[in-house]
Amino acid sequence: MQSLYRLGVAEVVQGVTSREFSAEEYIHQLLERIERVEPKINAFITVSKSSIDQARIIDRKIRDGEKVGPLAGVVVAIKDNICTKGMRTTCASKMLDDYVPPYDATVVDRLQQAGAIVIGKTNMDEFGMGSTTEFSRHGATRNPWDINKVPGGSSGGSAASVAALECTVSLGSDTGGSVRCPASFCSVVGFKPTYGLVSRYGLVSYANSLEQIGPLGKTVSDVASVMNVIAGFDEKDNTTAAGRPSYSVDKRPLRVGLVKEFVEGADEQVSKIISNSLDVFAKVGCQCEETSVASVQYALPSYYTIATAEASSNLARYDNIRYGFDMNPEGYEWNTYFSKARSNFGEEVKRRIITGSYVLSSGYYGKYYLKAQQARSILIRDLKSLFKKYDVLVGPTMPILPFNMGEKVDNPLTMYLVDVDTVVANLTGIPAISVPAGFARNGMPVGLQIMADAFCEQTLIDAASMFETEAKVQRSPEL
Amino acid sequence: MVTKEEVKHLSWLSRFDLSDEELSKYTAQIEQIISYLDKLDSMPLENVEPVKAKKNLADLRNDQATNFAGEVLGTKYRKDGFVKAPRMV
Amino acid sequence: MQTKIGLEIHCQLTGLKSKLFCSCGTDYRGKEPNSNVCPTCLGLPGTLPLLNKKAVEFASMISLALDCRVPEEIMFYRKNYFYPDLPKNFQLTQYNAYGITSIGVDGSLQYGDDKVARIRRVQLEEDPGRVVYESGSMEKSLYALVDYNRAGIPLVEIVTEPDFSDPKDVRLFLNKITSIVEHLGVCDTKLEGSVRCDVNVSVQGGLRVEIKNVGSFSEAEKAVRYEIARQKTMVSRNIEVKAETRHWDDARKITKESRSKEEEQDYRYFPEPDIPAITLGKDFVLSLKPSMPELPDARKERFISALGLSPHVAQVLIENKELADFFELTIKLYNSPKEVANWIVTDLISFVDEKDREGGNLLAGLKVGPEHIAELARMVEQNTVNRTMAKQILGQVVRTGEMPSVVARKSQATRIADSSVIADAVEAVFKAEQSAVADARQNPNAANFLLGKVMQLTKGRADPKTALELINKKLRETT
Repeated sequence: MQSLYRLGVAEVVQGVTSREFSAEEYIHQLLERIERVEPKINAFITVSKSSIDQARIIDRKIRDGEKVGPLAGVVVAIKDNICTKGMRTTCASKMLDDYVPPYDATVVDRLQQAGAIVIGKTNMDEFGMGSTTEFSRHGATRNPWDINKVPGGSSGGSAASVAALECTVSLGSDTGGSVRCPASFCSVVGFKPTYGLVSRYGLVSYANSLEQIGPLGKTVSDVASVMNVIAGFDEKDNTTAAGRPSYSVDKRPLRVGLVKEFVEGADEQVSKIISNSLDVFAKVGCQCEETSVASVQYALPSYYTIATAEASSNLARYDNIRYGFDMNPEGYEWNTYFSKARSNFGEEVKRRIITGSYVLSSGYYGKYYLKAQQARSILIRDLKSLFKKYDVLVGPTMPILPFNMGEKVDNPLTMYLVDVDTVVANLTGIPAISVPAGFARNGMPVGLQIMADAFCEQTLIDAASMFETEAKVQRSPEL
Repeated sequence: MVTKEEVKHLSWLSRFDLSDEELSKYTAQIEQIISYLDKLDSMPLENVEPVKAKKNLADLRNDQATNFAGEVLGTKYRKDGFVKAPRMV
Repeated sequence: MQTKIGLEIHCQLTGLKSKLFCSCGTDYRGKEPNSNVCPTCLGLPGTLPLLNKKAVEFASMISLALDCRVPEEIMFYRKNYFYPDLPKNFQLTQYNAYGITSIGVDGSLQYGDDKVARIRRVQLEEDPGRVVYESGSMEKSLYALVDYNRAGIPLVEIVTEPDFSDPKDVRLFLNKITSIVEHLGVCDTKLEGSVRCDVNVSVQGGLRVEIKNVGSFSEAEKAVRYEIARQKTMVSRNIEVKAETRHWDDARKITKESRSKEEEQDYRYFPEPDIPAITLGKDFVLSLKPSMPELPDARKERFISALGLSPHVAQVLIENKELADFFELTIKLYNSPKEVANWIVTDLISFVDEKDREGGNLLAGLKVGPEHIAELARMVEQNTVNRTMAKQILGQVVRTGEMPSVVARKSQATRIADSSVIADAVEAVFKAEQSAVADARQNPNAANFLLGKVMQLTKGRADPKTALELINKKLRETT
């Protein structure tokens, strides 16, 4: 039988709707694949058995000639911080061990309306706080290209599940690079939309003003198909922008700027691969040159100020009274109970919450939080002027190659520094994508990050797609 | 300089029960992180407004009431519809 | 420094249909615990606040009525503190700092005869849930019980400057606030817990003490009186009055030391990232003002200038919207404003019992409507009954709800007109009250005492006119 699990979005929809194969056959192959590779990868926290029933419903609709959506039969893995009605959503935290949401996130609802099937919930760093997917209550996810290396994070499970061919596409969330970092480390495509393009209703907040839900897939075309379904105004999220956009994949010459600061700070092998990528753009008629954004040096401190501040407040609600895990409140004094329950947060989460409380403390607000927000304004202004000269800005997604598991867990600041290239898009709200750019000598993937101006996702998709077609680096790891 | 006392107070504000060992470890790590964030001090600020999203009053939700269908509370510690909580001594 | 009192007044916007940030109803009273909740007001992970447009309008109306400046843009802030009745462990509220203002700032309100208190700010915020104990006492319970039906109910907080020194003025001011929110139709102050008040009290030689948990406006005056006495006693005994937060014990009518909780400097306020800054625009106030209902001061002015009422009578009427409405309905039935107003202000109110008066519930206990007062005023002005009679009739009307004409007819029917019967009664009274008779001979006014005795003896059935004539005749005879 054909290896259906290797297919992309368009082939799955084509195959299922033309009844070349059934959605049920397809999901069975994926569930078998999951059973086979999960012991090595650990990309999933929950695998949904009811996904088979969903597949049968799609098949029946097609048999009966009913209308099915543009993602009919497509199998999606959802990061475990995106709410799925009736399916446990834990954020990889003990604090939400028993939490079953009574509602679907808007993106989940839209995917299901479009005929997609949710196969399960993917592993992550607890509440999205981390860049390696090691900080999970359910154990670390491993990089499918080398199981001794980290897959990146925090959407490590979403990236690894796509790379390991356990689903067609997946959803992650990107607060400071959490979609693009693992996409880069696992050699898949990862997309962070413009802030306000995709509804956050149902995304468990880590840092509200920075994060967006974004798709991961094997190809640019796959993530574009998902964007066409999930993007657009949602009355349940006051921060979404008007309109429901639709994207295609076009080829056109673009003006490409390589951000000097990103390349200079990177590992030598990474720099080389990224510099070479300019030749790929040049080959298809793009105008390429090096450029500079001096204010990016303030991006990382600004990011960690805002992210920890917002997180410290967002995560206060987990006191285990209304939902959470099993711990009887009887006989406790309330402050004791709260402290005891909340000590079940992982170390990294506690560290960020205390840091966030620090920067919001009275007397420090002006020194940190307010300044960080001003730094965002400066970055927005500087990038705005650059986007008058360039359609897209490029650089490495990650400054370093995927590293060994456990290598950075004990040094928080070193861990934070790997986000230096990705946080810029979150602070400024602009869209960014990571596409596979090549492999280092040790076989580890390198991702190219492309950024465009706010709400210019079409430009971004065009650039990424041209690069992908010309660079021809897309392949899957042997498992 | 981040002091142990500050971290202790902040961990109370965050309702974390930290051992003395944890407290020392966090203090050292947070000191390191905060020193890094101090980089913001060197930023030329001019007269920059902090970033903020905007929305018009007219685009807000209309005042209409609807009931949510389904169980919303996850805890099993209930009594006559109430949620059991620790005592507020 | 003399005694200084400042107020933080909370009014629920009961005139709204839905909560401040979700679509749950505002009519939570008497409902099953936790039946008026949804994922948003329970703060479930992934939910987002959706601000109620009309709540902004109501809060703006209150601000304008208090002569506050309403800015062109408003923002919401998070006030971070832990409490079991607070689903997110932060409260969405407003704050004035860093050039950002709440919905109303720098106002003032005239109250009593010629007193003025400054308003520091008016802010829109959410109400928390409610904590109760099974046995009614925390000491005897193993756990607390929480009902979140109230969580998210829209509240307007009015913060005054410490411009009061006399507890009586506090009461007058709160009456005025009550009348204003009632006139605006934004708050039904008669609903249990719909208006609450925290008070700040400092006396000469001591620091500021905040008293929370004052459950109604009538309790506020008591709490202030208690606290002033407590603090003055401490000062006189050279005990230091420290800055602290205390709780009003409603049952024992005392203030108590408060449990350990975050203080002002611990709240770590920062802008709510999920609610964009709301642009009200330049014309908002201009367009809102004409649509606002008539305010008490304007109504008083109209009562004086258009209806000819005295300032005192007009003042009594407008202090209670229900009374003023009752008055206006009555004069629609019988257009004699002064006569009607006097019946309401001097006579009708005298029948209100103490408890209803405290609760501002003036007419609830009386079986009287505008038609009763209209008819009574007409009967008096057309000389169908004299004023003394009319007052007696009113006494019966408020108990039975009978029309005054019916009451009058009944008493007429049983009236003793036979002068020989009345003469016997006079004879008996003269025998029994010899010293009063002697008195009456010196002082003609004292004859009224004898008339009273005659009426008593005849159980009020004697025609007073005939009786008085007979008394005077007999006084003259025996001289």
